[in-house]
Parts: sequence; C-alpha cells; structure tokens
Amino acid sequence: MPLNGVRVVDLTDERGIFGAKLLADLGADVVRPEPPAGDPLRQRGPLLKTAGSSDQSHEDDQISLWHAFYASNRRFFAVDPETSDGMTQLRQLLQHADIVLVCQGAFAVDHANLDDVQEQRPELVIIDVSSFGADGPWADYQAPDIVAGALGGFAATTGDADTPPLKGFGDLNFMVSGAYVAIAALAALHNVRTHGQGQRATVSVHECIASCLEQVFMFYWYADTLQRPEGKVLPRRGALHWSDAYAVVPAKNGSVMVTPAPDFDTQLMWLIEEGAQEDLIDPKYQEPENLRLRVERSMQVLRAWSANKDAEDLFLQAQARHCPYGWVLPLEAVAENPQLAARNWYKSIKLGEQKITAPGPVFHFSTADSDIELPQRPHASAATHAADILAELGWSNS
Amino acid sequence: MSTDNRPLAGLRILDFTHVLAGPFATRILADMGADVVKINSSQRAVGTQDPQHPYYLMWNRNKRALALNLATDEGKEVAHALCQQADVVIDNFSAGVLDRWGIGYKSIHPLNKRAIYVQMSGMGDGGPWSKFVTYAPTIHALCGLTHITGVEGREDIGIGFSYNDHQAGLHGAVAVLAALEQRQRTGIGHRVDISQFEVGVSFLGPALLDYFANGTAARPVGNDLPYDRAAPHGCYPCRSDRPNPDNIPGLDERWIAIACMSDQQWLALAELMQQPPWAMASELQSAQGRVANKHTIDQHLAAWTQTQDAYELMARCQAAGVPAGVVQDGADLIESDPQLARYNFVRPMQDVHPDLGPTWVDALPIHFEKTPCEQYQRVRAIGEDNTAVLQDWLAMSASAVAAKEQDGTLR
Repeated sequence: MPLNGVRVVDLTDERGIFGAKLLADLGADVVRPEPPAGDPLRQRGPLLKTAGSSDQSHEDDQISLWHAFYASNRRFFAVDPETSDGMTQLRQLLQHADIVLVCQGAFAVDHANLDDVQEQRPELVIIDVSSFGADGPWADYQAPDIVAGALGGFAATTGDADTPPLKGFGDLNFMVSGAYVAIAALAALHNVRTHGQGQRATVSVHECIASCLEQVFMFYWYADTLQRPEGKVLPRRGALHWSDAYAVVPAKNGSVMVTPAPDFDTQLMWLIEEGAQEDLIDPKYQEPENLRLRVERSMQVLRAWSANKDAEDLFLQAQARHCPYGWVLPLEAVAENPQLAARNWYKSIKLGEQKITAPGPVFHFSTADSDIELPQRPHASAATHAADILAELGWSNS
Repeated sequence: MSTDNRPLAGLRILDFTHVLAGPFATRILADMGADVVKINSSQRAVGTQDPQHPYYLMWNRNKRALALNLATDEGKEVAHALCQQADVVIDNFSAGVLDRWGIGYKSIHPLNKRAIYVQMSGMGDGGPWSKFVTYAPTIHALCGLTHITGVEGREDIGIGFSYNDHQAGLHGAVAVLAALEQRQRTGIGHRVDISQFEVGVSFLGPALLDYFANGTAARPVGNDLPYDRAAPHGCYPCRSDRPNPDNIPGLDERWIAIACMSDQQWLALAELMQQPPWAMASELQSAQGRVANKHTIDQHLAAWTQTQDAYELMARCQAAGVPAGVVQDGADLIESDPQLARYNFVRPMQDVHPDLGPTWVDALPIHFEKTPCEQYQRVRAIGEDNTAVLQDWLAMSASAVAAKEQDGTLR
C-alpha cells in the first residue's frame, strides 16, 4: 500500500477528518483517539437503521454512517486526557507518530502539548487546522460548513436567482480543507524523507475554500479582458456555467447538461443532421467578435432541441460524438451506475455485524505487473482497538 | 547548491494536463517547489489553453513552459526522453492518450523505474464510459452533485463553479505525494489511475451508505443539514449595500448564513433578537421542535435580518456565540476580507507579465513553518523555457534546441 508504515494520529474534527480519511484509505496506520464517552462525530447522521429504530432517532448505540465513511480504515482508541494514565498514553501515542493531524478545539488537542513533542522529535509532522488562521479579527469565529462556505465564497456562486445562496450537500467545504490537510501532511513527510526535517504546517479552512472557486477571482482580476456584462462579480444563476456554454436543460425522463463546447462545429453538424440548426448556419456566428452571440443562440437552440429527446439517449448519443454532455443522475442511479459497476468500484465493508456496500477507493495504484489493493478495514462502532494500541505502546493488559 | 528549501524542491514533473483539474494539481505541486514543466504547443494554444487567457493565468503559475509538437515523431522522441528523466508524469486526457504516443507507463517503466504516472482522466482507465469526454459540469451531472445540490423539486441548479475539477486536482496532488512515499520505500514508481467521476461520487459517501444500508435515496435539502437536526440553518437576506445600475439579478443582494447547532446557540440568538414572543415559544426550545417549525423560524428570522447590515450582524452573532457568516463574493474576498488580507492570500504577482502587465495570485493555503512556499512566478509563454528545460533535463545544447525550434519540433 502506498502509505504502508506511515503512522498518523488523527485529532481532527469535521474540518480535517477527510484528510485523515485520505491517508487511511491509502494505507497509513491512522489512530483516532476519542473520549471515553465516544467520538461526538459518531452521532452524525445518517445512522444505520436497525430493527425498531426510526428515521429520526439518534440513539447512542446506533452506528453512524457518516462516521463510517469519514473515519474509514482507522484504529480507534479511547483515552481520557484528564487522567494521568490518559495523558501518558496520549503522549506515548504522539511519540510513535510520523504525522499528527489536529483541528483547533478538537478532542485532546489542548492536552497534546505539541510544541513539546515537536521539540523532542524534530522529525514529526504536525498539520494544524483552524477555521480562519490563528490571528485576525475572525480568528475565533465559529464556522460550521454552511458558515465556512458563506464566508469562503462557495455559497455566493451556488443557487439560482429565485433561491437563497446555497451550501453544498453535506460537508463539501470541509472536504476541500480535508484534501489540503492530506497534501500538507504528505508534502511535509516528503521533506522529512529527503531532509530529515519535520515541521508544523497550518491550514485555514477559509483560505482552502477561497482557493477553489474557479471563476470567482478570475472575474474580478481580469474583468477588463473578459468584458462581461456582469462586471467583476457573477451572481448565482443555477447551473449556467460562467462561460454561458454549459447548462442543465429538461429532456424527456430527466435532465441533461448540454453544451456546444468545446467544438461548436461538431455540435452544429449534429443539429444540421437532424434539421434542427435554426439560424446557427448564418455566417455571422462564425465571426470571432460574435462568439458570445453564438454561444447564447446555440444554448437557445439546444434547449428547445433537447426538450423532446429522451435524457439517457441524448447523453449517450452526445458522448458517441465526443460532445461532453452529462445526464443528471439521482443518487440511486449513481448507485447502480454501469461505469462504476464495470470498474468494480463499490466495495463491501463490515459495519458492526453487517456487511454493506460502500464507496470504493478513488486512487488505483498499480505496477506494470499488478494492482495494489487498498485497505477495506471493518469499521468499529466503538474504540475497540485500545488493547492492541496500548500493547504496542508497552502497556500490559492489566 | 540550490537555496530553494520548499518541500518539493528538486522534484521533476512532466505536465501534460489541460483546462483546470490537472493544471490545478500541478499548480499546487509547483507552489511547493517542484520543477513542473508544462507541455503546450502553438497548435493547442487556443481558448483556455492560450497562455494569455485569464483562465490559463489562474492555474499555470510557477511552471516552466516547453513547446512540443506531439503530432510529429520528433516531438514524441523529445517527450520520450523527458519521461525517462521525470519523477512524475501527469495528464488528464481520456485514458490511453499517452500510451498511443508511446510514452505511457508501460513503455517508460522499463527505462525509468522510478517514474510515477498519475492519470486523471474523466472516467478512469476501463469500463464502458472510459472514453467519454467530460468537463466539470459533465461530472457534476453524472456523479449526483447536480441533482442533490438545490431545493426541493429542482434538479437543475447544482454547484455554481467547477468544484469537482478543483477536488480532482487536490486528489491528483495527493496521489503524486502518496506515490512518492511509496517510491521512497520501494524504489519503484507506480501508476495511479484517478477517475474524476469516482472522485465526485465519493463526495456523496454518507448518502450512498444510507442508500445501500437503509434504502434511502437523498434528495436536495437546500440549506438544511440532510441528516442532523439544526435550525435555524440557512441563508437570510440583509440590507442591500451594493450599487446595481445595470440591474443584474442578484448583484445587489446581501445575505448572511446563520446556523444554530445547539440549544445554547439558539438561546443566544433569541437574546440578540431581544427575545421576541415567537422565538420564546416552548416548541422552539429543542432542536427537534425547531426543525419541525423551521419554516416559521426562517420567516421570522429573515424579517429580522433584512434591515440589518450583514457584517455588523455577523459580528454581533459571533460575539454572542452564534455561528454566522456573510455570504461573500469575489469582490468581498479580495477587497475587504480581513482574514485573507491578514495572511496576504490575494496579492499582485511580483513577477510582472511582459505582455499583460499585472497578474494576480491566490496563495497556496498551506503555511509550512520551516519550508515556506512564498515564491510565485508568472505564467510563461509557449516555449519560453525550451532552452532552459532541455538543458536541465536532457543536457541539450542551445544550438540543438534552436534547431528543433526551427524545424517545428519545439513549437
């Protein structure tokens, strides 16, 4: 496995846990300490329904599918840092780590004395996540995903003119900061391997979100070049892409993302074949200065043309012509998707006593001879790995 | 001896990527010090592949530019030689393009066992859709993100920017770095197949588990949490403070996100609102009750927020312990965000572009204490670094480079 032998201590909350997941799913030995009463993230829904449980119940003994996803491939270790033994165990755990991931304010972070550990072990990598950085007027602001996405720029782009600004489904903003956490950890580890020097790196969720907004900064900085009627800011407007050349339109039996890009002529030839080109063959649309006009008119024609076509057929015909259409799929269709099935992507994982189907790995490592299997460890519904971990740290069963 | 102490200094990356996902991956690696050689050509430099297009300017800083005409055998020979010197070869073409050029993993691995290949195609290598052409809107539609991002009854909203392209780029960088750790241990460079589609599907992980385990298919929930109880939890209108002379829809709006994640935060918000009778109703004193009455709460809360200045309200909410944040757009982030200013996140490029004048930087959001990544170099023109790259990587003489430029190989 790519990260075989890399030891990680995971002291993250929602803001960084996706980074720990990426490392664990790549084969690192990621230990996640949790309080004796259990990780609060084990309460997050969706929960695994069991006989007698209701949709809305949040019983302590129910298994969190949220936790099963985000805390995949971990070893869980209950520790009470308010006790002497707990502090010793936490310290010993940190002494064995290559990488420590922390979110400011998360469990045990204030007890970890990471400055001392770093001083004793200069080869240690510490990735330190906060919402807004350690300084500045917003440094202490509380920012769950919706607030982080509002301040970071996600929400202003998303939604339609007749809806409020929208957050993404679930924790999409924290998945961005989490991915940066994994990058920071592995880049710092590379520096350890090449120069023997560990270090702390800080990651602000706010900056992470702002760094992944595609057109947002471009519109502001290069407004003179782009010459958009909206000026420096493009307000939310549904699925209409900033270029105006990609939009979701209704078709029969569903919706399809249609576009005349990147090769307008290929799309035009298709329309001509079906006698649906309208006035798009007018030479004025070939003039470079009329590109915006051509885009606008093409989208009008595509919208009308698509309305009477079956969504799946339209999507497959487009792709056969190398037109990058996308069929708007609901979750259940994603679950049954033929591409994912052909790649044997979904895996079976053990969750408590049950085996369920779960999302598979997003990285496929191979050599010239063979594929590398990535871990699919059973998910533990409690801190059941404590005995093994304590034994590794030199503690006896007693 | 190099004075560059950035964490990836000395790493050679041959970059065949285009548009956003791949270039964003290599931008991150370049920001951290890797010597990223970006392959482009005068034939391909149109639209967003034109090094003077704003889109290209956004994702291709800190890279050296090599012009290579891969339609010629001579161009492929140069690419072959470069692959033999590379630590990493990365592309986001449809699966199989580098193989057709004779520079895929299986061709190069016998000659350069340490070369890592990261292939970030839309659909991955293999499967009935592997040759499909995708951009982020395509992936968003297919992976469920478009359908699930919206309000009840709408499947045509989706995310307003290419979220999955950025995430595919981040995952591409993770893949490179994980493969480096693996190579450190084994001495062997591996091939990594990343499907941008699978990356997108993975973001619905908990919802997919819910579907497979419980049979529940998630639907759009607007600004609600899909599974947990929190109310209020949404975006609420504030007093407009923006001129909008051209009446662009939405441009003059101001919104604030407010999220009460606990009873304590709700009580604090009620206190801020001076405890109006509606907020003190007994059924609103539990999360369950607030969620059941969320439409009532949203109406009252919107009436309270809509006359207020968004930033002042945010400050008062946060001071009272209520999570709240202004819905900021690009102008807010660049002109007035105090956190981004504090950390110099957006800044002019010091290395001024000779043709375009000023260009700008949104900085790497990782702050390494001992190996800071604070070097930013402008986007380079097609072939601007031909001589330097080919001397460094292949020890090719300046005259040999000039001859290849003349015959069209490096163009």
